[in-house]
Amino acid sequence: MQTEFRFAASIRTVTLALVLQAIGSVMAINGAFGQEADRPWEEPVLAPSQESPVPSGGLDAGRLERLVKRGETLFAARFTRSDGAGRPMATQAIIPTKRRRPPKDEFQRMAGMDANGCISCHNVPAAGGAGDFTANVFVSEGFGNAEFDSIDPQFSNERNTNHLFGAGLIELLAREMTADLQAIRSDAAAAARKQHQTITLPLETKGVSFGSITVKADGMVDLSGLDGVDTDLVVRPFSQKGVITSLRQFTINALNSHHGIQASERFGERWTGQADFDEDGMVDEAGPADISALVAWQATLQPPIIAEPESTAWREAAAAGNAHFSDIGCARCHIPTLPLNSLTFSDPGPLDAAGTLRAGENATPAAYDFSGQEWAKTLQRNEAGAILVPLFGDLKRHRISDQKHSRLGNELLAQRFVERDVFMTAELWGIGSTAPYGHRGDLTSLDEVIRAHGGDASPSARAYEQLPDDARSAIIAFLKTLVIAP
Amino acid sequence: MRISWFFGIMTITVMLLQAVMLGAAHAQEFEAPPLVMDIPVMHEEAIAAGIDHSYTGPWEYFVGGGAAGLDCNGDRRTDLFIAGGTSPAALYVNRSQTGGELRFEQVAMDVEPRLLTGVTGAYALDIDNDGHKDLVILRVDRNLLLKGGPDCSFANGSREFSFEGGREWTTAFAATFEKGEDFPSLAFGNYVDRTAPGTPWGTCHDNALFRPIRGGNAAPAYDAPTPLSPGYCTLSMLFTDWGRTGRPDLRMTNDRQYYRGGQEQLWRIEPGSPPRPYRPSEGWRTVKIWGMGIAEADLDADGFPEYALTSMGDTKLQTLDEDAEEGRPVYRDIAFERGATAHRPYTGENTRPSTGWHAEFADFNNDGRLDLFIAKGNVEQMPEFAAFDPDNLLLGAHDGRFVEAGDLAGVALPTKGRGAVIDDFNHDGMLDLLVVNRGGRASLFRNLGGRTPDNPAPVAMGNWLQIELSQIGSNRDAVGARISVKSGNETRVRTIQVGGGHASGRLGFVHVGLGVAERAQIRVQWPDGEWSAPYRVFANQFVHIDRGAASAQYWLPE
Repeated sequence: MQTEFRFAASIRTVTLALVLQAIGSVMAINGAFGQEADRPWEEPVLAPSQESPVPSGGLDAGRLERLVKRGETLFAARFTRSDGAGRPMATQAIIPTKRRRPPKDEFQRMAGMDANGCISCHNVPAAGGAGDFTANVFVSEGFGNAEFDSIDPQFSNERNTNHLFGAGLIELLAREMTADLQAIRSDAAAAARKQHQTITLPLETKGVSFGSITVKADGMVDLSGLDGVDTDLVVRPFSQKGVITSLRQFTINALNSHHGIQASERFGERWTGQADFDEDGMVDEAGPADISALVAWQATLQPPIIAEPESTAWREAAAAGNAHFSDIGCARCHIPTLPLNSLTFSDPGPLDAAGTLRAGENATPAAYDFSGQEWAKTLQRNEAGAILVPLFGDLKRHRISDQKHSRLGNELLAQRFVERDVFMTAELWGIGSTAPYGHRGDLTSLDEVIRAHGGDASPSARAYEQLPDDARSAIIAFLKTLVIAP
Repeated sequence: MRISWFFGIMTITVMLLQAVMLGAAHAQEFEAPPLVMDIPVMHEEAIAAGIDHSYTGPWEYFVGGGAAGLDCNGDRRTDLFIAGGTSPAALYVNRSQTGGELRFEQVAMDVEPRLLTGVTGAYALDIDNDGHKDLVILRVDRNLLLKGGPDCSFANGSREFSFEGGREWTTAFAATFEKGEDFPSLAFGNYVDRTAPGTPWGTCHDNALFRPIRGGNAAPAYDAPTPLSPGYCTLSMLFTDWGRTGRPDLRMTNDRQYYRGGQEQLWRIEPGSPPRPYRPSEGWRTVKIWGMGIAEADLDADGFPEYALTSMGDTKLQTLDEDAEEGRPVYRDIAFERGATAHRPYTGENTRPSTGWHAEFADFNNDGRLDLFIAKGNVEQMPEFAAFDPDNLLLGAHDGRFVEAGDLAGVALPTKGRGAVIDDFNHDGMLDLLVVNRGGRASLFRNLGGRTPDNPAPVAMGNWLQIELSQIGSNRDAVGARISVKSGNETRVRTIQVGGGHASGRLGFVHVGLGVAERAQIRVQWPDGEWSAPYRVFANQFVHIDRGAASAQYWLPE
């Protein structure tokens, strides 16, 4: 069926592209960071951080292109010991945490390090993409029982790899939504103080309701009305649980967890007292400039698209499926588009906390405008001029399983205050390119994953089950048009 | 006349300090940890902020010089009551904007003016559980209990509380709510009895414990003090649950300058029983120092607090000996191994010993590790001791030691520090600092952020929380509660206490630095020993916890 897409690429083509990309990466890295140009075979890929100033200020197209190129090569690179790969004395935790003893094996699929490069998992259908079941990761906070060597779910949550296409737009949406929610909170507080009474305001941004906020006259906030967002009203758009604030934070977390490469902005001397926190003999393994490069590459990945199948039958089915998708309520959470006011991405962003580089910790945040990206020209705008981001999501957390339909709530461990059966609405853009499905990647078809929905999504899933065969098929046809362009 | 023999005594003091300086020689070999953490930039702005206040007076005011931090008008900003010695004490209401420059406004107090002179220090405490913080005023002569009311109003409540106030030269205070009591027990520490024969040597006043006696009305009566005898010229005292029994005892640091046969003391305070000092047979070891101030912190979160004791010469940092049997207060000094002796000025050419006063643990750079502030200053003009004796800001290092950063932080001023209040006066998440100086203007430092090795301009430091507890009925501010803040494998512990320091204390939000943790779980052990449910909170928030509440609330600064 994939051959019916005008842009479809064969697996073989993807594989070849990856190989060529890897070779090109080595060459590009060596050239870009001062290693001897006549020794392109050199294995280390991470330049010492002091050789790479942190990008700041407005980046023109040329500077952005160079930064993105560096990020691309890092994303595709195979990290070596001399890059700092491996964390013999550090756990995967997001707070620098020491291991009690070095692991028996440096690579280890459960507690990590579990990958040789970003692209090891994020490769379906291309670099930055999702991953097959074989690329699942085992998410553990890395504090107690950090050295597990079992896939027993009491120790970790097994998760499928998410794709990163359109991630820059997602982060921008989350920033704007956060600003809106926090402004509502401030308004409520100001009104409560002025009127000397308790004020409750609905927390709604971009058409998504996050419950309500109540502030008393003395400024005390009642958080009990919140729905699907953290109590600090920061919309954290990344990870299946919605617990990661930014691409920068994600990058730092992932480099340590999966590769044992530790970003100096969190694991360096300032916060840990050690330049080599993981005691692998390498100091300051990833400097802020390289983190910025990885962020820039991920942020500028083109968003998935809604493909127009060549087949008339498919086009008609997809159109019908789109309508059914809305009719049965799927679009209440998988909202087709959210409006975005600005395409200017700043890094570091406004919402990260200590341990992830913050604005003011270097000269000025780097700022780049997505408008210059080719893909940005295809984004539609609403009447108000806002960009319509076709994410098919709401950046909100929901309970996704219940007694009768518990397949999507099959984890045993809560993660960072988020209960085990609560997840952020999966953005469906790109879903046609990223099988298998579900948080664990253990559902082989879209039909299965739709039927697995419970909890808040149960009415829609049950409605789906009640649809005639051709209507259900039409929804699948529609979802299969939500693809990642090669 | 008094001054001349005071200096004479100091000659003997210096001889005694020779032993201390032997320790200092060792300390020269001490290799301080590198300053790789954020150095808080402390900007002095007292005058601009509206605080022009000095602590003055003759010999009786060589000691004391404290201040109380409290919210007296319900806006949750910390206001200040500052002792003045022979100058009037004054109340400064905090008008600072959130995140802005510090601003205070001096306001009049409806208290007989003569009662506001002779003040050596002050502590805040809600004595009668009316929701308004009262002030306990320490004086040379009669102490006062000022009853707090709305909008920073205070009235002399000594009569209402049947508190006679005594005639002693009072220099220390601590309070606790003993088990089963609705009102606090008040302990007063006194210095030299100036009327006794042979004064000042060996003529320390007894100290006193005022347990509440419920009268016919809602207010407690404090008219039957229990002497804590012998007194050894106490300059700081603190109720502390040193043995993790749930029952605070009373620790005192005493000035060996004047006592004879005295020592540091720990009084066993058994509810309903007469207090008595711990004995050598119970493990208490004799320690004789020029004790000036006490700071408590559970540095390793093991439930057994450590104590910093300021003195002339080296500061002690005591920890319960790991070999001590349960219930035996056997302490050993770890100041040297932790780099916390602070025995002489750390900047300038002077190698004479320091004189330490107020001590307090706090996390000034929000890196998750407690720092130790010590107010320093020559007693008056004692040539044997450092004349330029800058306050210490010992930053907690990653290896558990402390490293001096007072000069880099900007607190190394040529003042004679005494008491202090550490608080986030402008609600920006970073701790600011008031230092009361003898014979000079008080210093008020605004914390501008951290300076890093890579960045000389102050930047945002680590994450933080500020936590306020509340319970209904008695002991509304949960004095004695223990707050445990867990992020990852790190647990940070704070205890709400009234007492300690040097004639200075504060009551309000409890600040906890979190370093790079962006979430934390809080558990509270309430004063009666009951543990709360865990509360999950995000970093960089003001958190309010009502006892029994299912979830914590956030508070938004104005």
